Amino acid sequence: MRVFFSALPYYISGVLPSLTDAVFEASSGITTTGASVLTQIDNLPHGILFWRSMTHWLGGIGIVLFSVAILPLLGIGGMQLYKAEASSITGDKFVPRIKDMAKILVKVYLFLSFVMMVLLLISGMGLFDAFVHAVGSISTGGFSNQNTSMAYYNNALMEWLIIIFMFVGATSFNLHYDFYKKGIKSYLKSEEFRFFFFILLASTVLIAINLKVTGYVGSGSIIRDSAFQVTSITTTTGYSSVDYARWPAFSQLILLILMFVGGCAGSTTGAIKSVRILVLFKFIYKELYRLIHPHAVAPVKLNGRVLSPEIVKGVAGYTVVFFLVFVVSALLLTMTGMDLVTAISSAAASLGNIGPALGATGPMANFAELHDFAKWVLIINMILGRLEIYTLLILFIPAFWRG
Amino acid sequence: MKIIIIGAGVVGRTIAKKFSDEGQDIVVIEKDERIIKELQESLDVQLIQGSGSSPEVLARAGIEQAEMVIAVTNSDEVNMVACLIAETQSRVPKKIARIRNPDYLNYTEIFERDYLDLDFIINPEKVAADRILKILDTPGAIDVMDFIDGKLKLVGVKLSPDSELAGKKARELGAFFVNGNVIIIAIYRGSQTIIPQGKTVLEAGDLIFTIAHSREASSIPRLFNNIANEKTAHKIMIIGGGDVGFFLAEALEGKGHLIKIIEKNEARCEFLAEKLDKAIVISGDGTDQSLLKEENIHDLDTFIAVTNDEEANILTSLLSKRLGAHRSVALIDKPEYLSMVSTIGVDVAVSPRLASVSDILQFIRKGKVLAVKTLMEERVEAMETIAMETSDIVGIPIKNIKFPMGAIIGAVVKGEEVILPTGETTIEAGDKVVIFTLPKTIPQVEKLLMVKPEFF
Repeated sequence: MRVFFSALPYYISGVLPSLTDAVFEASSGITTTGASVLTQIDNLPHGILFWRSMTHWLGGIGIVLFSVAILPLLGIGGMQLYKAEASSITGDKFVPRIKDMAKILVKVYLFLSFVMMVLLLISGMGLFDAFVHAVGSISTGGFSNQNTSMAYYNNALMEWLIIIFMFVGATSFNLHYDFYKKGIKSYLKSEEFRFFFFILLASTVLIAINLKVTGYVGSGSIIRDSAFQVTSITTTTGYSSVDYARWPAFSQLILLILMFVGGCAGSTTGAIKSVRILVLFKFIYKELYRLIHPHAVAPVKLNGRVLSPEIVKGVAGYTVVFFLVFVVSALLLTMTGMDLVTAISSAAASLGNIGPALGATGPMANFAELHDFAKWVLIINMILGRLEIYTLLILFIPAFWRG
Repeated sequence: MKIIIIGAGVVGRTIAKKFSDEGQDIVVIEKDERIIKELQESLDVQLIQGSGSSPEVLARAGIEQAEMVIAVTNSDEVNMVACLIAETQSRVPKKIARIRNPDYLNYTEIFERDYLDLDFIINPEKVAADRILKILDTPGAIDVMDFIDGKLKLVGVKLSPDSELAGKKARELGAFFVNGNVIIIAIYRGSQTIIPQGKTVLEAGDLIFTIAHSREASSIPRLFNNIANEKTAHKIMIIGGGDVGFFLAEALEGKGHLIKIIEKNEARCEFLAEKLDKAIVISGDGTDQSLLKEENIHDLDTFIAVTNDEEANILTSLLSKRLGAHRSVALIDKPEYLSMVSTIGVDVAVSPRLASVSDILQFIRKGKVLAVKTLMEERVEAMETIAMETSDIVGIPIKNIKFPMGAIIGAVVKGEEVILPTGETTIEAGDKVVIFTLPKTIPQVEKLLMVKPEFF
C-alpha cells in the first residue's frame, strides 16, 4: 500500500508516465534501495526530488524500528539475535516499552540526519543537495539529485563525510543508543561491529591494491575511491564517486560479494547482514572443530553468549532462502534478454537494497531501459529483501491463510 | 577466648582441633547427629546439634560471649545468616564465613561493614585453584607457598635418585647453588618429618622443602630432580569442571595456555563452554582411557584432576602419567591420602580444605607478635616473629645459638632486606625472623624467643 501511495507523486506529476516506473521509483525509495529509472535527475522539480528523498528517510527509520522492535518479537530468520544485541535497550529498566524505545530511536535518527546535513553544508554543498545526500546516506538509501551521483562533486571532504555517515547508518542503532549511555566501548564490544568494520577495511585494501596494480586512474586517490565504493556497497547505500563498472574483474567481484553482506542488524542496511554472515562462519568453524574433538561441547557464541541451535538454524535457513530468491530472480531477469553480469548483479543489488549494480545497470547507468517484466522482478526483490523475505513469503504459505 | 565454629566438615573440624589444642574455648554447631557423635570421641570441645542459621541455637551456643564466629558449613546462605545473627544480636567482633558461590563474590558490598561486616571470606575452591596455579608456575615443584609478602617462596620438591644431591649432607648443598643460597627447612621421609641439620643426609625419594628468594624459586626443582627438559606448563588437561576446574581453566586460558577440560555433566559443560573462550570443553568421563587418548594425552605436559571424587582424582592422575603426561596434579582432601600420593606417583597433591584452614589461621593470626603458618598436612609450622632485645637469639651469630633440634631459622628480615641466614648471620633486636618448627617443638622455640604465645 505504502509503495503505491508513494508512487502517486511520480505518476501524477507526469515525471514518470509509466505506472511500472512510478512504482519502481517508489519501492526503490521506500526500501532505501536507491535504484532509479529517472534519466535526467538534475532537471526535475525540487518537489519531486524532495519527495524521493523523504521516502528514503521514512523507509530508513521504518526499517530500524521494524528490525529493532518488531522482528525480535517474531523471531524470524534467527533474529532473536537482535534481542541479545538489543539487550541494553530491551533489557534496560529505563526503557521497557516498544513505544518508548521507538521514540528514542527516532530521536537518534533525526539527530544524526541533522548533524550530517549541517556538516555537508559546511563542506560546501548547497542546502537542497545537502538535505538529499544527508538523508540518502543515513538511511543508506542512495538517491542523489545528480545524474552522476557523488562523482558530480568530486570533493574529497564530502566523500569522506558521506563514507562516515553511511557507516554510521549501517551500524546497529542499538549501539548508537548504547554509545549515548556507555561511550565508545559499546561499539568495540560488539563482535558484529568489529566484523563489519573488518570487512570494510579488508575489502578497501584489496581493491586499492588491485586498482594500483592494474594502473587505474580515478579521482586521484585510490584509497578514497576504493573506500567510498566499498562502504557504499557494503552499507547497501549505492552512491558512487567513480564508475566502478569499469574496474578490473577482481574488484568488481569483491563489490558483488559485498552486496550480499550488508551492515549491522538493527540498522538501515539491507542484504543478509554482517551478523548472520558472522554467525554462519562461526557455525562452520565449530563444525570443523567438532570433527577434531568429537566429544567437545562447542556452542556458537556471539558477544560471549551462547546462541541456541534454533537461532543458528534460523540464520542458516534465512541465508539459504536469500540465495534461493537471488538465483530465481536472476534467472527471471536473464529471461528478458539481460546479460549475465547485469542480471546477477541487479538481482543482488535489488534484493540487498543497494541500488546500482554492475554492467548495464552500473553506477553511471540506470534502470530505465529495462523490460517492464524485469522492473517488476526487481520491485518484488526490493520489497522481499527489505522485509527480511520471510514476512512476505509467509503470505504464500497456505497454512497462513487457514490460520 | 570463646570461638563458635559452625559446620563440622573437614575445615571446621581441623580448626576446632587446632584451637582447642591451644586451649581456646570452642563451641561447634553441627546439624548432623552422626558427625556430632563422632566428634564427641575425638574432640575436646562443646558440641551443639542444630542449624547454624537458627538464632535460638546460636544463643544456646553462647553467642553473647563469643569473640569470634567461623561459619564454614557447606551452604553459603547458612554461613551468611549465621554471621548476620552474630552481627545484629550480639556484635561478635570477628566473623569469618565460607562463601563459594561466585555470584556473591561479585557483589561484595553485602560483606561490608554496614551489612554483614565479615572480616574474612574463605572460598576453598578458589584457594585450591590459586595454589595449583602457583605450583604450575614452578616446574617440577610439588608445593609452592609465599612468605614475607611474596618476597620469599617455599618450594617443595621430590629428590630423584639420579640427582647429584642424593646422598649429600645438607651442609654440602651451598656448593651447588651458584646464585644466592637456599635453605632446606624440612624433609619428609615417608611419614617421618625431619628438620635438617648440617649433617642430615639427603636420600632419594625425600620430599624436600626449601626456602629461597622468589626470583630464584623456579630454578630450585632443577637441582633436585633432573628435569632439565621440563618447561613451564603449556598444554594442560583438566578433569572436572567444578568450581576448582573452572577457576583454573579461566585463569590458565587467560595466560595463553592451551586448555582441555573434561566434565561429565552435560549441563555443566554448556556452562563452561559459555564462560570459557579458548578452552576446549569436552563432555565425558575423565577415567575413560579411550577419551583421554582421543584427546592426545601423551602430548600434554600437565594433567590436573579436580573432580569431587578424590579416589578418582588419584586414579586418573596415575593413568595420565602412564599414558604419557609429564606432570600430574590431584585434588585430595583426606589427610591420610595426602601423605601417600607422592610415593605412588602423583606429582602434586592439593587439598582445598587444608589450604583454607591454613588461610583462616593465617588471617586470624595476622599482625600478631607470632604468626603461625601451617604447612602441608600440619607437619611443620612456620612462625613469623619480631626478635626482642631480651631474646637469646639476638646479638650472636646463628651458629652459636642453642637452637632446639626440631626447629630452623628460615629467614631474617632487616628493614626492607630479606636475608636467608647462614651460620655467620647475626640477628638484631627488631628483625623479623621466620622459624620453621615441628609442632611439638613450638614450646621450646617460644621459650627461646621469650614471647608468650599470645595469638590474638
